[in-house]
Amino acid sequence: MQLATFIARRMLQLIPTLLFILIVVFALVRLLPGDPASAILGDRAIDADVERINRELGLDRSLPVQFAVFVKSVATGDLGRSIHLKIPVAELIAKRLPITIMLTVMAALIAVLFAVPLAFVAALRRGRLADSAVRGAFQVGLSMPVFYLGLILLTVFGAQLRWFPVGGYGDGFLDHLYHLFLPAVTLALSLSAILMRNLRSAIIGVIDAEYVQFARAKGIAPRLVLLRHVLRNALISTVALFGLSIGTLLSGAVITETVFAIPGAGRLMVDSIYGRDYPVVQGLTIALAVLVSFTFLLTDLVQAWLDPRVSR
Amino acid sequence: MKFLSITALSAAVLIGGQTAVSAQERGGVMTYGRYTDSLFLDPVLNDANVDIWVMNNIYETLINPTDDGLDLKPGLATEWSLSEAGDAVTLKLREGVKFSDGTAMTAEDVVWSLDRARSPDNGIWNFLLASVDTVASPDPQTIELKLKYPDPTILSALSVFNSAIMPKAAFEAMPGDTDKAKAEEFAKKPIGTGPFMLESWDRGAIMKFAKNPNYWGMGADGQPLPYLDGLTFEIIPDDATRILKLQSGDIDGAEFIPFARVAELKADPNINMELFPGTRVSDIIINVRPELDGQPNPLSDEKVRLAMNYATNKEALVQVVTYGVGTPLTSFMSSTTPMHSGTEPLFPYDLEKAKALLAESAFPGGFKTSILTIAGNQDDLGVATALHQMWGALGIDLEIKQMDNASRTEQYRNGTFTMRTGGWTNDISDPSQITSYFAYSPTIDALHSGWKNAEVDQLFEASQKEMNLETRTGQFTRIQEIFNATGPTIPTYETPYPVALRNAVKGFHQIPLGNNIFRETWIAK
Repeated sequence: MQLATFIARRMLQLIPTLLFILIVVFALVRLLPGDPASAILGDRAIDADVERINRELGLDRSLPVQFAVFVKSVATGDLGRSIHLKIPVAELIAKRLPITIMLTVMAALIAVLFAVPLAFVAALRRGRLADSAVRGAFQVGLSMPVFYLGLILLTVFGAQLRWFPVGGYGDGFLDHLYHLFLPAVTLALSLSAILMRNLRSAIIGVIDAEYVQFARAKGIAPRLVLLRHVLRNALISTVALFGLSIGTLLSGAVITETVFAIPGAGRLMVDSIYGRDYPVVQGLTIALAVLVSFTFLLTDLVQAWLDPRVSR
Repeated sequence: MKFLSITALSAAVLIGGQTAVSAQERGGVMTYGRYTDSLFLDPVLNDANVDIWVMNNIYETLINPTDDGLDLKPGLATEWSLSEAGDAVTLKLREGVKFSDGTAMTAEDVVWSLDRARSPDNGIWNFLLASVDTVASPDPQTIELKLKYPDPTILSALSVFNSAIMPKAAFEAMPGDTDKAKAEEFAKKPIGTGPFMLESWDRGAIMKFAKNPNYWGMGADGQPLPYLDGLTFEIIPDDATRILKLQSGDIDGAEFIPFARVAELKADPNINMELFPGTRVSDIIINVRPELDGQPNPLSDEKVRLAMNYATNKEALVQVVTYGVGTPLTSFMSSTTPMHSGTEPLFPYDLEKAKALLAESAFPGGFKTSILTIAGNQDDLGVATALHQMWGALGIDLEIKQMDNASRTEQYRNGTFTMRTGGWTNDISDPSQITSYFAYSPTIDALHSGWKNAEVDQLFEASQKEMNLETRTGQFTRIQEIFNATGPTIPTYETPYPVALRNAVKGFHQIPLGNNIFRETWIAK
């Protein structure tokens, strides 16, 4: 029951947060120079056309009025229509956000699968060749720009070896996983580097702790000591870092989606900002805010499970 | 015997070779890589090139532009005539044309489509048909347009995408109270007379077309067009990825190849690197208003602009930015625009002359100024960096300000910018559109520069009603003379459309206006 109230409280806290985000995004995107009509008409824009189009979109009304209209529609579940694509924002998000979520989740899993074992190797062989090798390799990966790494992977494993498709998203769940593998690896690399370093330090810190010495002295098998005591405690700070890094993953997704031609929400967000497609920017921000909050909630729950001291 | 067989063999190879070259093969689906997705496939309400350039595959016009974009040929109309006074157009409709849903195209559809296209309430292209007073059909095979005044551009206007023929009944049956609402519904499953029909559209990813089984056009083999069974547009925003997919054979064609990669693809034996002549011109647009930010504007001084022009090495820009793919401009409009005049590149590089001109101006010591470029655009940055160097020799300190398109457009439209990189492609094969934006001040203050020339304004207004081709050409020649010599731009270069295709793809071309024509495309097995 404690868990249920915890979750319920967090959900309630979400509402004022969302409202605040809404106000900020609404204002920010309209403070940007330019407007949807001239953004799309570009150099062909004539004043008469721009004014008419902006009037049709209700953009000639005062900001508080526009905001009121917007809040009213959101409250009824209507996120409006994309100005340039002429289709409902909700439909657009429902189509493109799951793709980014799938990419991000895959990237997160791969990052963890890379980081955890290698962090152990580096920590346990601290100061020796294996440690330097692991840290060096990750350093190289961390310093490579995402688009550069992505293009290399695409060229080698896609175009030349034909092990993976050359970009795109595919048809059907398994095909999606197949298409998203290389982009997920690209995205995972910098995150896994950060996780690895953090976990390695945490493990080193824990290994020398008294309770670990005690466990060893008691005669518990080394592997069990590692898993039950060392890993569980070392993960606490890393899980927190992981949760905070979701934001970085989502922004890295934009570049990855461009290089790999994946029709995700990252690209949609950037295109909509360039095109000043206000309804899409607003709707997508709400969706992402909810998503990120949900991720924070999850990581908090995992942390509480790992470290009983947290929930007390 | 041997001699005879060799001759026979050679003859057979010659003849066989000849027929093999022209024998179109049917079937297959062509996949074309585009850099960005279309937005809204309505001929009248669209506002972007990404829609214009592909709509001809779904919707057709009464008159079609020829492949070189300079002339006109029959489309849904087989013949036409202009009255003596130039104030009426009579067109004969092609018989047996059906829409993709099997219904016959009638004169009623044509009248309705043209009325919709020319309504001032609909979209931004109605100005092309502004001279039209009434559209009527005296008999089922004839369309008559009565004009308010003689319009020398009316025939070209009937070949522009916004005058495409749509099915009146199907469109009006769509739910919604306004034209806009109906258009949005209709665009989900468009019905036109074109060679292809939209089958599915996964936004931002893939657009699939199937062949129109009711298409009226005939192929060289006597069977209906198109040769392809289908057409797929794949959206691949990253240039490197798009080229990679072409080279690995995943797609059959890729548009907008960066200039830097053209030479490499030309050398690739599996790829046909096409450079289709276009109407795209690049230039630097200068704000020539007497004051900017409350300070006197050095750029309003004609001698300063002339100096900057002579100090700009266009050949160098063509090499450095377009890798030799472009050519220096000979007028402010592209050499592919009808009535273009000028044979010599404008303002050939002459630093001494530039220095002398600047010395005569009110700013002999140079000055500080800035240019707005699009952030992330390599060509823009290349040009601006080169100009920074070239004008530095005159003592002009050029600051490069990078921003996104919408932000720059706002400064541009407010007339608060100093200079910016500019580009233009024609939407009609007539010089009137580009001239109205560049030189005729009432439209947008001559590219929002504040430039104005009374003679140019007069000549343009006259040209819009001048039916005599020689006289009209003379008017545009004089406009170009004045604008090229004193105008608010520094002309840099014109460029073709770089499209890379697999060798097996035949019969595809992009006309100077930008339209991608897949009508007679086929893939050799």
